[in-house]
Amino acid sequence: MKTIVLGVGNPILQDDGVGLHVIEALRLQIHDPKVTVETATTGGLNLLDMIRGYEKVILIDAVRQNECKTGEVKRFTLSDFHSVHSCNPHDVSLSEALQLARQLGEKHIPSNIILFGITVKCTYEFGEQLSNSVAAAIPTVVNLVLKELNNT
Amino acid sequence: MKTITIDPITRLEGHGKITIFLNEHGDVENAYLQIPELRGFEKFAEGRRAEDMPQITSRICGVCPVAHHFAATKALDAAFHVDPPVPAKKLRELLYCGYVIYDHILHFYFLGGPDFVVGPEAPAAKRNILGVIEKAGVDVAKEVIKHRAYGQKITAILGGKATHPVSGLPGGVSKGLSKDEVKEIKDMIVSCNSFAKFTLNLFNDIVLKNKAYVDLIRSDPYTLKTYNMGLVDKHNKMNFYDGVIRVTDQEGNELEKFDAKDYTNHIAERVEEWSYMKYPYLKSIGWHGLTDGKNSGIYRVGPLGRLNATDGMATPEAEKEYTRMYDTLGGKPVNSTLAFHWARLIELLYATERAKELIEDADITSTHIRNPVGIPGEGIGVVEAARGTLIHHYHLDKNGLVEKANMIVATTNNAGAITMSIRDAAKGVIHKGQVNDGLLNKVEMAFRAYDPCFGCATHTLPGGLPMTVRIYDHEKKIYRTFSQP
Repeated sequence: MKTIVLGVGNPILQDDGVGLHVIEALRLQIHDPKVTVETATTGGLNLLDMIRGYEKVILIDAVRQNECKTGEVKRFTLSDFHSVHSCNPHDVSLSEALQLARQLGEKHIPSNIILFGITVKCTYEFGEQLSNSVAAAIPTVVNLVLKELNNT
Repeated sequence: MKTITIDPITRLEGHGKITIFLNEHGDVENAYLQIPELRGFEKFAEGRRAEDMPQITSRICGVCPVAHHFAATKALDAAFHVDPPVPAKKLRELLYCGYVIYDHILHFYFLGGPDFVVGPEAPAAKRNILGVIEKAGVDVAKEVIKHRAYGQKITAILGGKATHPVSGLPGGVSKGLSKDEVKEIKDMIVSCNSFAKFTLNLFNDIVLKNKAYVDLIRSDPYTLKTYNMGLVDKHNKMNFYDGVIRVTDQEGNELEKFDAKDYTNHIAERVEEWSYMKYPYLKSIGWHGLTDGKNSGIYRVGPLGRLNATDGMATPEAEKEYTRMYDTLGGKPVNSTLAFHWARLIELLYATERAKELIEDADITSTHIRNPVGIPGEGIGVVEAARGTLIHHYHLDKNGLVEKANMIVATTNNAGAITMSIRDAAKGVIHKGQVNDGLLNKVEMAFRAYDPCFGCATHTLPGGLPMTVRIYDHEKKIYRTFSQP
């Protein structure tokens, strides 16, 4: 199955960039030519451009959930979200972008989209370092993604 | 006193918050905007290699990576004492036009337009692009998506990478254009030009032919008489990429004109203890609180501020539309906040015309695209981001490392004006404690017109862009809470 593993986040906003760090670790371990490994610092419509044409999409992103500790890893399907990293106020969320694409009769929309979310606290401070608890979650996410790919 | 809080602002994920205070009669006493600004940029930049700044700063904002990229690149030109070759400047400006094209299209169809196309008091779930499709049809939506993608593609070809360009270097650009690329870009620009005109027609039919909308645009709660600021060329025509900063007054007369390198002589930033936001104002006028008029140094940037600050547009079709806007709305300057939308579409048309001029210019395929850099020092760069004047300022040490950095972003330039517009709109629509979603949206419309951008940060789960409205009584106890998915 033609698959893209896509880490999303902002590299200069501390824990927000965890998805990019996970991709760094994954690049060393994924050698299947059918699997594309990519990063993105952008929102819905641009993400849609990136995943168009793939059958399966595995997103990795920082998420914020009030009741959670930071550094927890959760698996979501797209239906769990109204919103996936639309950091751009002009943009729509990925799920809205997909809905839009379907409404416009676009083909090549991936049907199988899952997301691994790493819980973080909201940050408004510049920085490239991850907090300890979020960095500690990286190996877990890497394993989950590799398992997900093996099951594909 | 009752307090209403709108948090976060619908369709903006940057955790903005509007707080409205009611008096004992339930009328609006005051209203404030809070945008949590990203902190620590100065410290973050310290010690970095200067040439990394255009890439790093393009990540600051999810909305305007191209604007930050070139404000930084121009600051580095100045800091390294190098003037880029003319073809390099034209390539940068062409890339810049691509950015304005996609950004302005998105704002109109996704963010600002739905209030008019679908209606200001339509249910929140409909006031978005999907509602626009329902109303305007699938074919229009296809054109929107297509031309947004064209703008992106133009920036990707010229910038070497989609969304976050890597082509800007001190002294020029790293990448020229091939003949094939010129052809590809030209075709896209021609199509974007037609689409800009289509969009202006749509605006004309839906907004300007509707008396209720025109009345709304011209109404007092959406009127603000501030100074206006924008970049102009040597004929005082609007320019996104280059020029000098011009400020005009409430009658449209020039107040001052200055080079970006002198910005600290002209702009100061007010810090208020009740807000994290800084409020820039004109030094020559001074700070007199959140008030408009001749005696207040608050100014507006962005499409309407820019058009008010110029004597016209440098391209014929946009110039015609520029004249029509001022004729329709009672002469220059236009102080109607909601006219930002019209001004934005005039700029969209300008960007397509200017892009066409540039792509047809013989220089555009030149290979002389970079000049050698000199000794590093201090540099200031300015561009017009889609949402207003953006300034980057760096001090470099002798090894080309950043010693000190400062930025004034467009939304900060507009901070005072946005706050006042929200307050005035709230006063205009909320009476006797009566609030509902439609009325609150009319408050948000005052805010959206400016196309503000927030820092790009993490979203919340379970997602959605909930708007929570909290009303407090005069003892600051929660009196009512609204929320919507």
